[in-house]
Amino acid sequence: MSDYTKYTKQEMQAYAIAKNIKENQIVIVGTGLPLIGASLAKRAVCPSCHPIVESGLMDCDPVEVPRSVGDNRFMAHCAVQWPNIRFVGFEANEWLHDEDRLVAFIGGAQIDPYGNVNSTCIFGKGDYLQPTTRFTGSGGANGIATYCNTIIMMQHQKRRFIDHVDYITSCGWMDGPGGRERAGLPGNRGPQMVVTDLGIMKFDEQTKRMYLAYYYPFSTPEMVQENTGFEIDVSRAELMDGPDPEIIRLIREEIDPGQAFIKVPKD
Amino acid sequence: MSKVMTLHDAVAKYVQDGDVLATGGFTTNRKPYATVAEILRQGQKDFIVYAGPGGGEVDMLIGEGRVAAYINCYTANSGYTNVSRRFRAWIEQGKLTYEDYSQDVLMLMLHASSLGLPFLPVRLMQGSGLMKFWGISEEKRKSMPKLENLKCAEIENPMVPGQKVVAVPVPRIDTALIHVQQASPDGTCIINGDEFHDIDIAVAARKTIVTCEEIVSNEYIRRDPTKTRIFGECVQAVVKAPYGAWPSQCYDYYDDDDAALKEYDKASKYQDAADAVAQLKKAAAKAQKALDAKPGDEKLIEALEKANKAAADAESGVKIPETFEDYLNKWVYGCKDQAELLDKIGGSRLMRLKNEPHLGYSTTH
Repeated sequence: MSDYTKYTKQEMQAYAIAKNIKENQIVIVGTGLPLIGASLAKRAVCPSCHPIVESGLMDCDPVEVPRSVGDNRFMAHCAVQWPNIRFVGFEANEWLHDEDRLVAFIGGAQIDPYGNVNSTCIFGKGDYLQPTTRFTGSGGANGIATYCNTIIMMQHQKRRFIDHVDYITSCGWMDGPGGRERAGLPGNRGPQMVVTDLGIMKFDEQTKRMYLAYYYPFSTPEMVQENTGFEIDVSRAELMDGPDPEIIRLIREEIDPGQAFIKVPKD
Repeated sequence: MSKVMTLHDAVAKYVQDGDVLATGGFTTNRKPYATVAEILRQGQKDFIVYAGPGGGEVDMLIGEGRVAAYINCYTANSGYTNVSRRFRAWIEQGKLTYEDYSQDVLMLMLHASSLGLPFLPVRLMQGSGLMKFWGISEEKRKSMPKLENLKCAEIENPMVPGQKVVAVPVPRIDTALIHVQQASPDGTCIINGDEFHDIDIAVAARKTIVTCEEIVSNEYIRRDPTKTRIFGECVQAVVKAPYGAWPSQCYDYYDDDDAALKEYDKASKYQDAADAVAQLKKAAAKAQKALDAKPGDEKLIEALEKANKAAADAESGVKIPETFEDYLNKWVYGCKDQAELLDKIGGSRLMRLKNEPHLGYSTTH
């Protein structure tokens, strides 16, 4: 039997995601951890939320963990099967109507202190045309980061948290206060937090720079600074409690029993 | 008039070198693999490709050198391959001409194409690398008559003075390739589940090749017009191709083929045998470097031994891992048509993929 009192970094991250979903929110999820977090929110932490995916599937409640946002597993258990363009129109209209119901999870390979995210390529010794490492490209992330408040999912590593990203795929607060407006982006939307395997970062209301808001029972503010490639304010950091055993049981036995995205520790 | 024909004839008649191709489906769902395989067999090339969110179907065209320009927004067999491997390798080697748009913009461009719009204003990509970096320069675009001269341009909204918006071009699609659940001889299509951008490209393209799981009569398909999604006059060819989206999914019919997508994930790491040898030698050198940095580390010693053996076995020809070339020789060039492919996959394996009606997917795939 699995010991539900012990949990992994990833399980903590999924719990942190679920805790940050609010009542009645419309939550844009991808696959992987955000989906596990949103499923956890829907089942235990915040059942009134509505998960949607960028392929256009609205109010999803998959029984089996989908592998992609276009998966039949999403399609089979949703309220509406829209084409992607309706999703795009919906997110834009939510902003035009001054609604504040959407929150979105996006991921990336690099992030800067203002929450600008790169998921296109790492130049390395090359450039955009011939980069050292190429990724998928934007997918829905650029549009989501334009119109919605986002929660950014990252692995906390020094080479990923850097002063300047090679390529901005998804705009954060650009170069600080007023940056989004100057770029022609909605100024009242933007990244709200970064959830990593070491903690939760938020953005200062005045400077728009990232600071450490919460660390986990197994991490420390020092660890966060050590693994961040730029100066980060950790003076406001608080400890976030770990999940109850029931939460861990739900993740392992009901939400991701096949361990598609979260591996259960062996011991 | 019946538009029913063989896949061979449809591709021979409606796919030419240099065409602007658009594939339907979404990464690992309802991708037109049967038609792409037939194009690979017949040899057409120099395509400008729009795949929406692309997957293995576009990765194969890239890896086989058939793509003159790929207009990308996202390319992965999600859940199996995080970034499609030939797409990635060809870009990292500087061999692929490509452009990046956000998925929102690319899908709106395909929709604009279906609406016949002259250009499309959006409020997306602003401030991002998607506007700053161009994969295909204005100069190069001028030598490509099927692409507009500009990737995008910031303009002022004439309706709202002072408001900056982004103008993007509207694709001129020659040939749309889509796979649907049911079609009738006159070209009318039923799509179950999410339509993705399939209807848009079928309307926008000059020629549309439809492969389908089942052909039903013109009368039968009209029994319930709430289910029909594509007007037959938008379609040039109707081809019966059961499991024509394999190894991707087809809603209400079958799930993705876990084994095939995993096989492709592994095989597509290496372009061919020479590439496998080169990459395995590089991996061995990297393992050596790691051990040099931490001498005596048992795990690293073991990893080096393994890497050295794999490199030596590949070089001597004792054991070369399956490559992209091998995969295609097995599953594309090694089958003369879809019927041979199905025989090769095998009846019991195809039955395992069948969707369970109460779930909408297979629990045994």
